Amino acid sequence: MANFLASPFMHNVLAGLAQGVLYSLLALSLVIIWQSTHVLNFAQGAMAMFATYIGMTEIDRGVGYWWCVIISVLVGMLFGGLAERVLIRPLYGKPEINPIVVMVGFLGVIEALAAAIWTSTTRNITPPFSQIYFHAGGQVILLSPFVIFQIVLAIVIMLSIAALFRFTKLGLQLRASALAPEVARLLGVRVSRMLTIGWMLSAGVGAVAAVIIASGTFGLFPTNMDGIFVAGFIAAAVGGLESPIGAITGGLLIGLSEQFILSYWSATLAPLGGIIILVVALMIRPQGIFTKNVERRV
Amino acid sequence: MKALHLLRTQETTSARAIGVVLLTAFTLVVTFFLPAVADSQLAGGAAITIVILGLSWLIGWSGQISLGNSGFMAVGAYTAGIWAHHHNTTPLVVTFIFAMLIGALSGLVIAIPSTRLRGPYLAGMTLAFSAAISPLAQNFTSVTGGEGGLFFNELTTPKWFLNFFSGPNATINANAQWTADLSVVVAGVMFLVMANLFHSRTGRAMRLVRDNDVAAELMGINLPLTRTLAFVIAAAFAGLGGALYTIINATVTPSTFPLTLSITLLTLMVLGGIGTLSGAVIGGIIYSFSGNLVDHINALTGVNPASNLGANMQGIIFGALLILTMMFAPRGIAGLWGPIKRLKKPSKRLATAEVVQ
Repeated sequence: MANFLASPFMHNVLAGLAQGVLYSLLALSLVIIWQSTHVLNFAQGAMAMFATYIGMTEIDRGVGYWWCVIISVLVGMLFGGLAERVLIRPLYGKPEINPIVVMVGFLGVIEALAAAIWTSTTRNITPPFSQIYFHAGGQVILLSPFVIFQIVLAIVIMLSIAALFRFTKLGLQLRASALAPEVARLLGVRVSRMLTIGWMLSAGVGAVAAVIIASGTFGLFPTNMDGIFVAGFIAAAVGGLESPIGAITGGLLIGLSEQFILSYWSATLAPLGGIIILVVALMIRPQGIFTKNVERRV
Repeated sequence: MKALHLLRTQETTSARAIGVVLLTAFTLVVTFFLPAVADSQLAGGAAITIVILGLSWLIGWSGQISLGNSGFMAVGAYTAGIWAHHHNTTPLVVTFIFAMLIGALSGLVIAIPSTRLRGPYLAGMTLAFSAAISPLAQNFTSVTGGEGGLFFNELTTPKWFLNFFSGPNATINANAQWTADLSVVVAGVMFLVMANLFHSRTGRAMRLVRDNDVAAELMGINLPLTRTLAFVIAAAFAGLGGALYTIINATVTPSTFPLTLSITLLTLMVLGGIGTLSGAVIGGIIYSFSGNLVDHINALTGVNPASNLGANMQGIIFGALLILTMMFAPRGIAGLWGPIKRLKKPSKRLATAEVVQ
């Protein structure tokens, strides 16, 4: 067993999954926004990065790690809500390029602001978990308490989002507003409020991903979420932007493919893993692997 | 009737040509009076104008959003860079044509999976493409020079041009101005090409595909072909712009074309006016002198340019301008002309298609 866990193949699987859950989280957050408002939020990663910086400054003031996580998530949710109210709401019913351009602009502003306030130096949040890998029978297994924490936290977040959507009244209202806003409004659902809540939930999930990344070896810097966003977007697109399960699967798939390219081919080419998957997936099914077939024909 | 229509098209084409030649000539005269630094800035702006022309065509006229134009620029730049690195004596025109062709080819490669995609999928796909360029350039070190990039010396100022200059900094001034003049002429030629494309049969088909793809398909327009063509042309323009940009700077590295450049391009295009020719030129001018503008704003607000805030002022201002323009004046600076014209002639209704409502 120890031999198997320490084999090069399992090294890659474990490292790939650990990275993949982060992509899955970001992809999930993109799917939540897409479902509620049909906007692809290009600033999703950057908003989470900014929220994490605010959490980090609280750590500098002496609060504990868990408070930092909570503060980052709350600030992230606040950003999400504000972004929807101020930037996105005036653009409903406009061509779909308009919100994309606005969020790309927002991305630029946030990254430049973060660099202006906290400089571009890489920072780290020290997590209360060891980052030293386990050993078994003299061999290294690519699992550390921190990696386990990372995977467990991601799974907990995903399950709670699923539970929220499936089992609560709020979740039902959120789904109703996304599926049939007119009918939901007639039945007394405050649809516009649901849209804001959708953005807040999504930004909160994104912030969790950003905090984990800032706690790991990758660290926190103003553009640290750019690559994660691209991978997260690819994961969501492979899954079809509509499907949470698809987004999570896509994220894991990209994490694994990147890790295998890194290990068997070249480290600099690792980011190409996701792009290859995206191109192949879109060639097979342009509307995503996990969406129900909706033909768009004349 | 048909002949009359044809005649009118030809007339406007020649009128357009004369206008562009006059404008280019005027800009060339201006370069004589600009300091060397401003000339270099203008050269960069001319290269960016070419890229924005392509982007404006792609987003404004064919309705396909692309965040990958910095990637197409990089393809053109590396084509020109690798070629100039090995074959230093090749005429510039040949290098540029190479860059355009390879740029167009990269556009075709991206377009084939992309034309089946709409809006956000397309934006993300092209974003992923431009994110892939830097890892590729870093990996194939033997060809691209890896992290350090390539250096070359392609631009040589001809003797007759040097004779215009005298004084202590004659060579520097002559080089800067030769670079600027060359770039302006290339930009002028590409402007004319795009102006004709805009008003061509393909251009009209493109707009119909953008506004109503069902109607376009019913009229017999081949949708995938038209959309692919839009990408290929935009990529060719971006490839040439990238090549010109590298030749001006005499170097190309993986970090020359970061993701943020795609954002900058988008900002400049939106600021100038989506889908307008003049908007591309306005965007290029803004790009040229945005550094001076930011310095001026820093000086006005008393921000130290060497401080963190000062160094990132450009990003903040550009991002904020992009948001504000899109929300409050989505047709950009070139679009401001419309309402003014309408004020003058209230009886005549403008028949221009609304690009962004």
